Amino acid sequence: MPSLGTWLAAFFTLCMLSFLYKDNPFFRIAESFFAGLSLGYYIGIVMNQTLKPNLVLPLIQNFHANWNLVFAAGLGVILYFRYIKRVAWVSRWALAVYVGYYVGVNMMQKLHGEVIPQVGNTMLSLHPAGVGTLWNLVMVVGVLSVLVYFYFSAEHKGAIGGISRIGIWFLMISFGAAFGYTVMGRISLLIGRMVFLVNEWARPLIGLIT
Amino acid sequence: MNLERVMQVDRRIIYLFVAVGTILPIIFLIGLPVSITPPVQMAFDRIENQLQKGDIVLVSFDYGPSSAPENAPMADAVLRHCFSRGLKVVVIALYPLGGLSEAVNELNKVAAEFPEMKYGVDYVNLGYKDGAQAAMKKMAEDFHEVFPSDVNGTPLDQLPMMKNIKTYRNMKLVVSLATGIIGEWWANLVNAQFGIPVIVGPTAVSAPKYYAYLEAKQMAGLLGGLKGASEYERLVTNKYPALAKTYATPGLYTATKGMDVQSIVHMIMIAFIVFGNIVYFTSRKKPRKAS
Amino acid sequence: MKKQVPLLLTFLAGTIPIVAFFVPERHVGLVSTTLDSWLIIVAGFALLLGVVNVVQMNANKIKRQSSGWPYAIVLLAGLAIMGFFGFAGAFNKFGGIATRADGSSTPFDWLYRYGFLPLQGTMFSLLAFFMASASYRAFRARNAEATILLVAALIVMFGRIPFGEMVSKWFPLTTEWIMGKPNMAAQRGIMIGAALGAASMALRVILGIERSYLGIGKGE
Repeated sequence: MPSLGTWLAAFFTLCMLSFLYKDNPFFRIAESFFAGLSLGYYIGIVMNQTLKPNLVLPLIQNFHANWNLVFAAGLGVILYFRYIKRVAWVSRWALAVYVGYYVGVNMMQKLHGEVIPQVGNTMLSLHPAGVGTLWNLVMVVGVLSVLVYFYFSAEHKGAIGGISRIGIWFLMISFGAAFGYTVMGRISLLIGRMVFLVNEWARPLIGLIT
Repeated sequence: MNLERVMQVDRRIIYLFVAVGTILPIIFLIGLPVSITPPVQMAFDRIENQLQKGDIVLVSFDYGPSSAPENAPMADAVLRHCFSRGLKVVVIALYPLGGLSEAVNELNKVAAEFPEMKYGVDYVNLGYKDGAQAAMKKMAEDFHEVFPSDVNGTPLDQLPMMKNIKTYRNMKLVVSLATGIIGEWWANLVNAQFGIPVIVGPTAVSAPKYYAYLEAKQMAGLLGGLKGASEYERLVTNKYPALAKTYATPGLYTATKGMDVQSIVHMIMIAFIVFGNIVYFTSRKKPRKAS
Repeated sequence: MKKQVPLLLTFLAGTIPIVAFFVPERHVGLVSTTLDSWLIIVAGFALLLGVVNVVQMNANKIKRQSSGWPYAIVLLAGLAIMGFFGFAGAFNKFGGIATRADGSSTPFDWLYRYGFLPLQGTMFSLLAFFMASASYRAFRARNAEATILLVAALIVMFGRIPFGEMVSKWFPLTTEWIMGKPNMAAQRGIMIGAALGAASMALRVILGIERSYLGIGKGE
């Protein structure tokens, strides 16, 4: 016989799947409960895995070495001032630090970690003739034509129009491949739930354990 | 048969086809073969041939229930491979919505299959950390400051294997099982700035993008979606026959069994798409009747 | 003060990681890594901002008895139950939020396994059905570009399953070629363009040209 937890999981799974027939209160209840659980999950992981070990315990156990974390806590608390009308403007300070830091990190990440290696690895040898060189040519033409397609400062006419057309073809091949992979990805998620329903709930229930 | 009327069929009939196509292969296993692709072979070879016993591998659980059917089999296969090779594993999670619990459950499940492996000596679970990129950057400078304790609050200095792990330099490889963008950050931030080799197991939805990182040698291997997971399972079971028994356990969900179901549903989807286009072209060629 | 200080803070917080990247000097590195530690903590606080927002919204909904207010009660109930065990776990009550030493589930982990996981997993698996329906009704080879997309999709879908290899070894080989060459080239082009765009946007934010994230318009 399936356990209580399995029954609950099966109930929630079937509530969600009922949406395929039509929208109904069971689906809406399951959806709302899911939203609540996810927010409660955030509370658990943030308190237990970040705030306690990285902020509270270091301040309590060794304030002398970790006093600077008070500033981090201050920035975090200031974020919540946005809910108090009179001091909502102060929350911009914390937001400014948060956004500023991540855009700074992102800028170097994008330039150093994406643009430079990707451009560098596009500079492929187009000599001597051979199958490998042909595929290198495909890659170089592909990257350049796609970049030309995304250059909207010049009208796509004449030579630029022709090259951007080739770029569109490469993009269509890529989007087709992405569609194929997306189908695979979505079906995998369905397989996971159906395997649960069949093997962990229905089979023990019907006593058809293979 | 009026083909155009078939095109207007209630969408719930289509859903029924998909549901039946999914359920039947789960009940009646087919056992289709799985072929290996170069990106997965590269990932396997990195762990199998380029790491020595005792080397440290960082496994990052960067996914949640939204992609667990794809990423969990990858995680299981990689963990089983690492344990079979005698590698030491440090598990972390950077994905907020479920990463911690997936790490806990998958690691506990696989570790139970290797009773000779001891927690704190051969593997640890350091839990989840907020900040993702901030945590990744800080781990290059001081691992212990990012993760002062393990998932249950045990201080790191009480875990023998963590005594000598200070930065990425003490590790040989990062494996990220990822949904979304965190996998990319391991490649374009951690590998780019700190040089540690990275293998990513993304979901199939994200996988096409990772080929660019793989070709630029910013990644040491790629396990794309359920197919990638099934290939890795095949490689691991071929190399370690003891694991083949684990994977043959009845009722155990594996990526290889999932690919059987995948195959059937893919054929259904292909049939839908081809049929829809046949009707489209046929109706375009029909002469229009005068109103 | 209300506008200038945040812009200055953005500039400083954004410039520090960039300077530290180029200047491997001890004091610069110390400032940068200190900021890394702080932002791990601030990110935790930021994640909980959404919780406060949602509680506020749903509490108002219940108070005003707006449309769908009973579902707001369900949402808050879920939040309260999971949040209680998560909060208590931080004080080592109920065994924490992972699993106990003997491998048994804590209440937090149990709710995750039998509540959160099936709910989110099934919610995302509905997409498979919608995708099948949409493909059947809308995926047409209407023009040359759509035909290229369709053919590539069909080759990849067939080549990635065992049936494809059983029919001909060229299907998986062609699929791998598509992924490794034209797809890779297109993705690289997109990646370079998007990265350059993101880097220039980052520069605009750091220099205070882009201020919308602070709720300040241009010229204010």
